[in-house]
Parts: sequence; structure tokens; C-alpha cells
Amino acid sequence: MDTYVILRRSGWRSAAELEEAAARSLAEGERMADDIAWIRSYVLEEGNGVGTVCIYQASSPEAIRAHAAAADLPVDEIIRVVDTVVIRPDPVVEAVAS
Amino acid sequence: MDALLERGELLAQLDALRAEGGRLAFVGGEAGVGKTALVRAFSERVGGPVLRGACENLTTPTPFGPFLDLGLDLADEPRRVAAAVLEELERAPLLVLEDVHWADSATLDVLRVLGRRIDGTGALVLATYRDDEVAGDHPLRVVLGELATSRSVARLAVPRLSVDAVRELAAPHGADGDAIHRLTNGNAFYVTEVLAAGAATLPASVRDAVLARTVSLSAGARRLLDAVAVVPGEAELWLLAEIARTEVEHLDECLDAGMLRAGREAVSFRHELARLAVDGAIAPHRRRALHAAVLAALAAPPDGVPDASRLAHHAEEAGDTAAVLRHARAAARHAAATSAHREATAQYARVLRHADGLDAAQRAGLYDRYADEALVTGRNEESISARLSALALYRELSDELRVGETLSRLTNAYTRLGRNQEAEDASREAIEVLESLPPGRELAWAYAVQAYARMLSRDNAEGVAWGRKAVAAALDAGDREVETYGLIMAGSSLLMSGLIDAGVRELERALALARALGEEVFTMSALNMLGTGLGEMMELEPAERYLRECIAFTEAHELWPAYVRAWLALVHVYRGRWDEGASVAGLVLRGAPDPISRITGLIALGRVRARRGDPGAFDALDEALDLAQPGGHLQRLGHLHAARAEAAWLTGDEGRTVEEASAVYELALEKRHFWFAGELAYWQWRAGALAVAPDWVAEPYRLQLEGDAQAAAEAWRQRLCPYEAARTLADAGDEAALVDLERLGARPAAAVLRRRLGLRGPRQTTRENPAGLTTRELQVLELIAEGLQNRAIAERLVLSHRTIDHHVSAVLRKLSARTRAEAAARYHEISVAPAPKMGGPADVGAPERP
Repeated sequence: MDTYVILRRSGWRSAAELEEAAARSLAEGERMADDIAWIRSYVLEEGNGVGTVCIYQASSPEAIRAHAAAADLPVDEIIRVVDTVVIRPDPVVEAVAS
Repeated sequence: MDALLERGELLAQLDALRAEGGRLAFVGGEAGVGKTALVRAFSERVGGPVLRGACENLTTPTPFGPFLDLGLDLADEPRRVAAAVLEELERAPLLVLEDVHWADSATLDVLRVLGRRIDGTGALVLATYRDDEVAGDHPLRVVLGELATSRSVARLAVPRLSVDAVRELAAPHGADGDAIHRLTNGNAFYVTEVLAAGAATLPASVRDAVLARTVSLSAGARRLLDAVAVVPGEAELWLLAEIARTEVEHLDECLDAGMLRAGREAVSFRHELARLAVDGAIAPHRRRALHAAVLAALAAPPDGVPDASRLAHHAEEAGDTAAVLRHARAAARHAAATSAHREATAQYARVLRHADGLDAAQRAGLYDRYADEALVTGRNEESISARLSALALYRELSDELRVGETLSRLTNAYTRLGRNQEAEDASREAIEVLESLPPGRELAWAYAVQAYARMLSRDNAEGVAWGRKAVAAALDAGDREVETYGLIMAGSSLLMSGLIDAGVRELERALALARALGEEVFTMSALNMLGTGLGEMMELEPAERYLRECIAFTEAHELWPAYVRAWLALVHVYRGRWDEGASVAGLVLRGAPDPISRITGLIALGRVRARRGDPGAFDALDEALDLAQPGGHLQRLGHLHAARAEAAWLTGDEGRTVEEASAVYELALEKRHFWFAGELAYWQWRAGALAVAPDWVAEPYRLQLEGDAQAAAEAWRQRLCPYEAARTLADAGDEAALVDLERLGARPAAAVLRRRLGLRGPRQTTRENPAGLTTRELQVLELIAEGLQNRAIAERLVLSHRTIDHHVSAVLRKLSARTRAEAAARYHEISVAPAPKMGGPADVGAPERP
């Protein structure tokens, strides 16, 4: 499994829509547990809605796309992560999508 | 274990699947974790009739093993068996198949069909398997992968017991739940055995725990357990009466002690782990004697015919060489006849392990059949080594005819592996040996094999000539089989030389002949050549039709489906169906296929990744290159280097584009392969390293290189290639292509076009503009050129006046313009000049053609 960053820019019109998408994403992720694992996401404030930057582990880029297609999530770009440098843990903020 | 702890959620999931109906659920978990207990509890909950079948832990399982338990009148073909099972499921809507990780390949084929056909039937099929035993290229894993996307197929995992559950189970025994959990890791069977043994010290392994339970049994009961233990699966009561005549009276004792479980007219251990533990503790001489007794009994069952697979298993365990030879040969023939080629291969291998006493001719014949079966299942190395053994024996016997024939067969195996020099040597020797004998089918065959090698090298004229020679010699010898083979080769070479209609006609004739003869392998081969040959000629619509027909045929006959599937993946990709292409390619690659199927699947995957801008395009294409280089055939290298040139271009690496595209360009020209030559020329042209291509290259490339992008794009559309059509228009700077590229998800190609058109990318934030202007500055410059003053620009861009002042200063500075008029003049220069050259891996785009 490699680690990937997935850009889903301006994917949703509202936080509520994103929340529904997150639920679908989790459900589909369970079905594909051998091939994909959702690590975390950053929800982006964008002019016309919200987008996300998602960190996943996956067996291939195709697994990410198959998961996205099954859960009806947009994919703008998939980038492979070659190294991770963690300086501090992610700050805890009030989640947009719980 | 009676109390079923921590299984509430799984039972609820099973209830839901049963309510939905039309479902096939795979229930996975390690050995002893409690899969059977779960399924049994569920069956009781459902009530009503339940169909059951189990796969047995035989070294080589019986074809359709678990379905024999259903008492069905079995046909010899997976599809028909599946149909019979589905019919049966109308009567009893729950079918439990145990331990499918041991399933024979015919049974796996039935599961494949069930997975696809069960939807809408109202039935539920539960198949249990050990998930820790299906790693890597295990055949069940391939089936699971194939069925993964099916809505009617579910996978459930049975987890180990938690420490709380083990404590709860231990409490009534006054045992230390924590210690037992530590020891057993929550494996339900182990926990039960430890508790049942009630030993003062905890048994250190499952085996110790099981054996500890037998200590309190009488000697007779222990001997009976031994007899049951040498029989994989269930031991029939009549069989026990034969092999343990006096001990069978202790059956009740074994049942009462919970060591055995009674079934219908048969008993079995409560768990396979228990059987193995007891079996492993039997003294070797006694074990042999027991197997010999089982062998004798099974050879004459009270009803029905003897099961050759079971006989072969016990014969080998009994060390009875003569019996192995007899039964394993019968089992192999039966397996081959029921399309269970994997089991047939294993049975022949078993026969040969015991064949030392046979004469050379008999052994050679066995090696031949072994090699045939191995070849059909794609195990080329195994097939070659068997063939070489046969060859040595035929030479020893001075049987020139068989030497020639075996050399021809070796040629095919070498060719398939890309070992071209060895193939060529074997083929020449075969022809030489056989031409010195009176003409006959073997010589005709040798010509056809030579035609095959020429076809693979895409020496099309020679391929046609040798193919025709084979057909003529076969007609003389009155051999329709070889005639079919020769026709396939001649037709394929015709097709590859661009004479599409003539090639298809010849192959269709071969196909009809193969079908009339009932020749599975030739039928598949003709369909395969039609599908893949038309694919290579970019005749995608008929290619797809034949590929699908071929896949359906191979699935039904268990014949090497990987290569046609890999080609179907490519056809999907070229038709713009990237998701399907990637998914089929992934399926092929997960099945650990032979090298050429792997190369083809990797090309499909590499193309999709490159075109989407996804990571890993070169991971796939580098692996393909490692596999393709030893063979060195144009049909792999041409295709592969074209894909690599494309991937290099889409990552903006112009130098590498030229390098890849020119690597096999000469070879493509030499063989006049108009598609490979066309694409390789195109990429060199695109990177500015080639001005003209020969006028015989494939039409869309020829038109594009001649400057007629519209006609070229139309030619691509007619060939059902939406990406290539859009790319051709994009190369000409046609904005209309953008919609198509974005719809396809062709991010890199769309980005190049957008940049060239000076369009703002939907998400593009940084990019290089002329004179180092930012996007905003370029916008401001455009408005300056329109003659707008700063206030008007600010209004137009909805920005503050002061911000615009800053932008205008920056624009003037960067353009070295003293006045707005000078800046406007520079803008007109910039906007008519070709788009700027960009490069570097961070920049998705690639340079324009100079």
C-alpha cells in the first residue's frame, strides 16, 4: 500500500453535502478494505463551497478511482506521497463533517 | 462450541443478505476461528432445507467435489453444473459450501458463474474459506477479485474471539480466561479444545490440545479415531465398517466425547485441525496400513463408481506404486475430460513421481500428456520441462517421428515465453527431422509451428507462406486438425499485414472447422487471434466482439483466459472506457498471469495512468519493459515503446519521448507495421524530432502528420477512439477538444491545451506566462491592450483601484515598457506567438511541436 494525496477541489456545495459524501466514502471503504484505507482529510474553504485534500493508503491509483466512483466522490488529482514529515500532530478543530 | 459469542453482528449481516436474496457470500477467517459454527448457527436460525457441500483437503481434489455432495446429476461443464445448482436453489434457498480454498478449478468456475447469475434468484449461497491460505496467486483469490465488484457478492470476515469472550467461556470451567486467550489468540477451536481437555497445564498447541482430549478414551476408540483421521472430509460409515471392523463399536464413545460428529451416513472430526492433529500422531507403518485398507475399500464401494481422485490420494499415502499409476492416470483423464486441467496436471505429475518402473515409451507418453495439460493452464515452464523429458526418451528410443513432433511442441512453448532463439532452433530441427521421413501430419504440424513463430515476429509474408504450406501438407495427410492450425496461422499473418477482410475470412474458416471438430484449443486460438489481431489493427468494434466471445469460451472450458482479457482491457482503454480498462487490467494482473498477458495488462494500465495524470504510469511500463525485452518481438516492444513515449510526453519529458519512440521505430518500419510505425512516428514528430513519416502508416497518423487534423480526428472517431480524436484536435490548438479531454478525465492533455489557448485552468493556480507575468497580470495586460484605464480595469476585475495600480506597474516593469501603449504592443506580439515552451516534471504539460 502506498500513501496518496487526493485533491477534490470544490467538490461540494455545502458542508452537509460533504458530510453525506463522507458517509458514503466510509461505507465503500469498508467494502474495499483490502485495497484502500482512508487516513484523514482536510476540508477546504473554497469560494463556492467546500473541497477536500484527502490522505489515503491504497494498493493503486485505480483503487482510489474505483472507490471514488463507487462513493460518488470527485477526483481532481492523485499524487503519490514518497515521504511524510510530521512536525506536530494535526490541530484539533471543530470538524465540519463529523 | 455451543455458545456462539461475538457473532451477533455477522448473523445480522447474514440475515440481511438472506432478506435481500440472490446473494453469494464468502465467509473468510483463519482455520478454527469459527466459520463453520457461524454458518451452522445461521442455518439453524433459517430453518428449512439447507443444501451442503464441502471441499476436501485432498492433495488433488475431485472435480466438482462439493457439488457431488448435493446428489446432483452432474454434467461435465461448469456452466451446466451452475445451472443445475441454481435450479436446486429454488427448492432449498440456502446452500453452504465449506472450505472453498480447497476447491478444484471446476468448482471455482461454478462459483464464478453463480456469482454472476445468482442476482434475482432469492437464494443465498455461503462459501467459507480460510483467508490466511489464499495469499498471492491462489486460484480462489482470483475468483474473489473477479467477483469483487459484483453487487450480488459479499465478503464477511469472522474475527478471533476477544479476551472478554474467552473469559466468559472459561468461567464455567474455572479456567484462567486471560491465560487461554494469550495462548490461543482467541482462535475459537483452540479455545474449545483447551477447555475440553481440562488439563492441569495448558496445552501449548492445537495439536497438543486435541491429543490431550483423546487420552481419556479407550484404546479401541483411539484406533477408530485414527481410521477416521486418514480420510479427508467425511468418512462413510460403510467405509469404517470395512477398515475398522472391530473398532467401529466405539463410535458412540467418540461421538459422546465430542471428538467426532455424525453426518448423514458418515462421520467426521469436529474440525479439520483436529483431524490433522490425530492424523499426524499415527505411527507411519500404521498410517500406511490404514491408507491401504481405505484404498481397497474405496476401490469397491457398495454403490456408485469409485472416485479416482480419492483412490489416487490413498494409493500415494499407502505407498502403493501400482495403484498410484492406475488411479492417478484415471483421475487425470477424468479431470482433463471435465476441463479441470489444473487437477489433471497435478495427477500426471503424481503418476510420473511413481513411474520409474514403466518403460521409456510409456513414460514419454505420460510426459507428453502432462506437458499438454500444463500448457493449457498456462504453466509454460512446467510444460517445457516435461516436454524435454519426453524428447530425451524419444531420442533414446530413436523414434524420429515423435522426436520431430515433440520438437514442434517445444517450439510453441518457447515461443510463448519469448525464447525466440530456442524456438527457432527447435522448429528448424523439427522440420529437418520430419522432412527426412515420409510426409504426414507431423510434418504439416511442423510447418504450422514455423508459421506461428513467423506470425509472432510479424514476418507476415513468411507467416502466410508457411501457414499455406502447412494447410497443403495437412490436406495431403487428411488431417483436419493441422489444417485448422495452418489456417489460423495464415489468417493471422494476413490480418497483421493489413489485409483485414481476407485475414478475418480465413480465421472464420478456421474457427468453423475447429468447432466442427470439437477442438477446444483451436476454437480458443482462432477466437484469440481474431480478437487480439483485430485489436492490434485498431479494428476495435469487431475486436471486442471476438474477445468477449473468446472469454466466454475460455471461462466455460478453463483455458488460459488472461491474454484475451488483457487485450479486452486495451480495447476498453482505446475506446475511452478507462475505468473498465483499468479494472480488467487489474484483474488480469492480480491473477499472476504469464509474461505476455502481464505485459499487455501493464500497457493498458500504464496508458490509463499516463492519460489521467495518475501516478505510477512508469511503474507499470518499466515492469512491462523488463518482461518484454528478453523476447524482443515487435508486437510487444512496438506497442510498449509507443505507450512509453506517450507517458513521457504527458509528463513533459520531450527528450525521453524521442528516445522511446525511436527505440523500435526501425523495426516497425522494417516489418511495415502501420499502426506501430504510425504511433512511433507521431511521437517523434510531436517532439520535433521527425518531419515526415512514410505514406503507408495508419491513416489517422498519416493525415495528422500531413497537416489535416480535422480529417485525422474524424478517422479516429470512426475507429471509436475518442481520446486520440481529441488529442489530434488539441495538437492543432482546437478549443473544441477541451470538452472531450475533460470529459475523459485526460488532465495532462487538457492542461497542455488550456495553457496553449491561454485559458485559465479550472484549478490551475500557478503557471508560467510570457515574460514571467502572473495570470492576473496577464489579464490586466489584456485589458490595457483593449485601451481600458485603471479605474475601468478595477471595475471589470472587481478589484480595488490601488491593486490595479500595483498590477499595472508590475506589467510595465516585466515587459520593460515605458508606456501603456508599448505594453499593449508587446501584448499583441505575445498573443500571436506560439505558446511558450514549458518543461520540467512539475509542469504537467509538454512542449508544442515547433
